[in-house]
Amino acid sequence: MRWRRPVFVGLMWALTPVAAAAEQAGVSVRDAWVREAPPGAAMMAGYMVLKNNTSRSQVLVAARSSGFGTVMIHRTVVKEGLTGMEHAPQIELLPNASLLFEPGGYHLMLLNPKRTLHAGDRVDIYLEFRGGLVLPVAYEVRR
Amino acid sequence: MMTSVVLAVMLGGVWLAATYRENGSRAILLPDQVMTLFPDPKPLTAFAFTDHENRVFDLSRLKGKWSFLFFGYTHCPDVCPTTLATLARAHEDIVKSTVGAEDVQFVFISVDPNRDTAGKLRQYVTYFDTSFLGVTGDNAELGNLAGQLGAAYQVAITPGVENYPVYHTAAVFLVDPRARFHAVFAPPIDAESISKRFKVLRELEGPKAT
Repeated sequence: MRWRRPVFVGLMWALTPVAAAAEQAGVSVRDAWVREAPPGAAMMAGYMVLKNNTSRSQVLVAARSSGFGTVMIHRTVVKEGLTGMEHAPQIELLPNASLLFEPGGYHLMLLNPKRTLHAGDRVDIYLEFRGGLVLPVAYEVRR
Repeated sequence: MMTSVVLAVMLGGVWLAATYRENGSRAILLPDQVMTLFPDPKPLTAFAFTDHENRVFDLSRLKGKWSFLFFGYTHCPDVCPTTLATLARAHEDIVKSTVGAEDVQFVFISVDPNRDTAGKLRQYVTYFDTSFLGVTGDNAELGNLAGQLGAAYQVAITPGVENYPVYHTAAVFLVDPRARFHAVFAPPIDAESISKRFKVLRELEGPKAT
């Protein structure tokens, strides 16, 4: 049963850094998910709840993932009745504050997925904070 | 922007609707934040689109059915998939009603014909619900129908840039079986809020509208 080992090691590798990094950073992420997209879709979106557990501000400056061509922090905005997207170059998380990335608001814009993602799949995205901190987060693909 | 102003005026029309129904002393659907009903639904005039099967989609395709119309584009990561998934749930709910959904269609109107070919639209809309229709047309025709519905959109096509911005109204428009603009659902939309109101409206309007 040699094949079992790499799977096990893979899981350990996958789960441990997330928890460790979150603790270290003082920023935790929960309910991280990506909406499953129609086949061939060039665009997807990622959502989550970010929480700053420290008593100083944390600034999210970028996100990246090897699973997509480009990842950008975006916000859906409504201006004069028109809905569109805005790039958010940075988002400040105030001390002990939570921030929702949810449909119709902040989201990670995921351009050009490298493969078709199905509900139940997992995709890793790295959140980069000012000061050099990088938080790896596992997003669950949901329909 | 003029079209946005038109939409704002229409959203204000909710109170007019209430007055009209009361004076008519018949069963009424009370106005609320979710749905704006027009007291005197405006008949739509000719337009010409193509659907995701490359068939003509014109005014005649709106007759004999209640049509839910939503403007968007497939390169839209957040609002469009969220809305289409919500409309799919609303459709499911209408299917389960005693009258069913034989007389209902959901139409996704792409304002981005530059990228949204018939093939792409088919793949996109049918993923959410196999009964959904994807349509698009040239800018003049898109502007034509959008104007009739008070819907606004802006596409900033940038040569060489794949991810150009598109702005569109996120409201859902309801056209009755006589091809009249009957109601509009304000965003953010919710499946149950829509299906519940639609079922009541269809019951009230049924004999008159069809």
